[in-house]
Amino acid sequence: MDFAWSDENDAFRTKVSDFLDQNLPNDWQAIARHGPGSREQTEFSLSFCPQLAAAGFLVPHWPAEWGGADRPTWEHFILGEEMWAAGEPRGGQYMNVNWIGPVLMRYGSEEQKHRYLPPMAAGRAIWCQGFSEPGAGSDLASLRTKALRDGDDYIINGQKIWTSYAGLAETCFLLARTGEGRSGIAVFLVPMDTPGIEVRAIPSLIGHGDIHEVFFTDVRIPSSCRLGEEGEGWTIISYALANERVGIPRYEMSSRELDAMVAELKSRGGFGNAAIRTRAAEAAAACDAARMLVYRVVDERARGEPPGTAANLARVAVVEADHKVTDFGMDFLPDCYSGSDHAAFQAHHERAIVTGIAAGAAEIQLNLVARRHLDLPKGA
Amino acid sequence: MRLAFNEDQATFSTVLGQMLDNEAEAGFQTVEDWGRFAYGAALDTRLDEAGFFDAAREEDLGPVAAAAMIHEVAKAPVVIECAASALLRPFLGEDIPRPLAVVVDDAPGAVRFLPQARAIIAISDRAVRLARLDGQAKPEESLFAYPMGTIDGGLSWETLDVDPQAIRTLWQIALAAELGGVLDGGLGSVLRYVREREQFGRPLGSFQGVQHRLAEDAVWIEGGRLLTLRAAARLDPADAALALGHIQSHATRIGYDLHQFMGAMGLTLEHPLHRWTYRARALRAEMGGAPHAFLDYADTRWGGR
Repeated sequence: MDFAWSDENDAFRTKVSDFLDQNLPNDWQAIARHGPGSREQTEFSLSFCPQLAAAGFLVPHWPAEWGGADRPTWEHFILGEEMWAAGEPRGGQYMNVNWIGPVLMRYGSEEQKHRYLPPMAAGRAIWCQGFSEPGAGSDLASLRTKALRDGDDYIINGQKIWTSYAGLAETCFLLARTGEGRSGIAVFLVPMDTPGIEVRAIPSLIGHGDIHEVFFTDVRIPSSCRLGEEGEGWTIISYALANERVGIPRYEMSSRELDAMVAELKSRGGFGNAAIRTRAAEAAAACDAARMLVYRVVDERARGEPPGTAANLARVAVVEADHKVTDFGMDFLPDCYSGSDHAAFQAHHERAIVTGIAAGAAEIQLNLVARRHLDLPKGA
Repeated sequence: MRLAFNEDQATFSTVLGQMLDNEAEAGFQTVEDWGRFAYGAALDTRLDEAGFFDAAREEDLGPVAAAAMIHEVAKAPVVIECAASALLRPFLGEDIPRPLAVVVDDAPGAVRFLPQARAIIAISDRAVRLARLDGQAKPEESLFAYPMGTIDGGLSWETLDVDPQAIRTLWQIALAAELGGVLDGGLGSVLRYVREREQFGRPLGSFQGVQHRLAEDAVWIEGGRLLTLRAAARLDPADAALALGHIQSHATRIGYDLHQFMGAMGLTLEHPLHRWTYRARALRAEMGGAPHAFLDYADTRWGGR
């Protein structure tokens, strides 16, 4: 076991960190305050991700064939830690980098790869994921949006909800039903300017323009928009979620926000109380436990092992870490959650609300830990 | 960064696992005396004779293998003195007898393993001292599932030529490993039970109310195990305090869950659940418990007020 970073890893982290220091604009904190899912940050990503791409910091882990540099798994993860710690200037494009691109490489047709991967690698593509529906949140497999075959086309009817980035996305990674059950689900790559698609923003606690309803009314798309085969959708989405669930090193931002909270308390002479110091350390422990569990997932991937249950454990721990840090701030620095002087704490709080819900509720992860990791019998 | 054992550590772990699986003492079905604890004298001897307690000194095994060993041995329903022998003794000098009892900062009351110990180690900020034992230990009845004892007679102390802070750090790692293993062993025992025990026509373990709590327990235990192994690899005081604080802070809730889901079966001495949970009760208070470990960590990471 070796818990130290290699010199090469350290050098890469420094390069990324230096790049962010030198290239993020002076008003970055005002933009980042809205959060990675916000319209503001997604718009910002369209100017910043091309800079990252030009510097080789957008998709270094992708194969050279698709604009990457075949860099190791750990470098991809170090990149993610530094981006998230800085407030995620890639906005919604982190999805392209972490899982949409790799999913297309694995399951996409040549035409799909050539159409979609180059803009992603250049930092100029915004996608949204058309997963959740009014009747299908945690129970994703119960989705009802239909894709009916009509000659060489499909006609899509249905509704998606709580969709991030839909207001700016050019393409939707859409799950729709072509038959019954899990084997009746297919993935479609749908241009968002196709007639019949309507996007409405949903006012939310995490900011206006962050989540949306997306309505599909007789949306006609060619069958070449289908990713993989009919019935392969659940396999594809399982592969995608395995990447998505550990794709966000949230504990890194939590850990740095915790440092900022402690610094704020110290500036007021308010970090001498043993109860406060203990709570800060307890939150730090949650962050580092989550970090270690996530590192184990990355380590398994780096060594080419098949995905196990580590990602499910990691995601539960990440949720706890986010909450312990934001609870610490709200308990001991409540004044920082009004006004505009501590935007980063407020943004962290908004993200912590999301952590246990987006990309699969924490309770679903507990189900998976119980059944897969602890080998407990499935409930009735 | 590599979170898998190296080849020697993997072999060490495999052989240890086989020994624990094969030891009659390790199987709770064969425990003859359903008392609060059973000292695994035969297991202790076999591990000692095979050199397992010296792993921390071996370059390719090191403290990581020793911490992993403490965790695995603590999972067994029999108890042996492993933590101090595996992680302290290799760094205390030559000719240190074992089993060992350890007392930190002159903590009052009965001391774990004193009835079996051939020496007692006293750790303070100023010094690490050793006293060899020859009949001065007196067994004490205790709620805890450890052999507990007090000193009844004069001791001759010698100060060891070691860094007290380094030894304190090693002891925090050792305690974290032992507590993590104890909780892991108890969890395994409860998992076996709730997979089989049926109520309302289905296994207890199929109820989501049971599943989620045991799943959370597993996440805390596994996170604690990795924090402990990191601390063992880096021997960093902050890492050690964090690992111990993390697992001590979750021990109360995990122990509650284990007893809750074992139900009345766990109240009997027929079932050995108490051999894990009543060891955890002792370990969660060692070195002042989670608050003190967390205060140590806060001092290191953030300094003063």
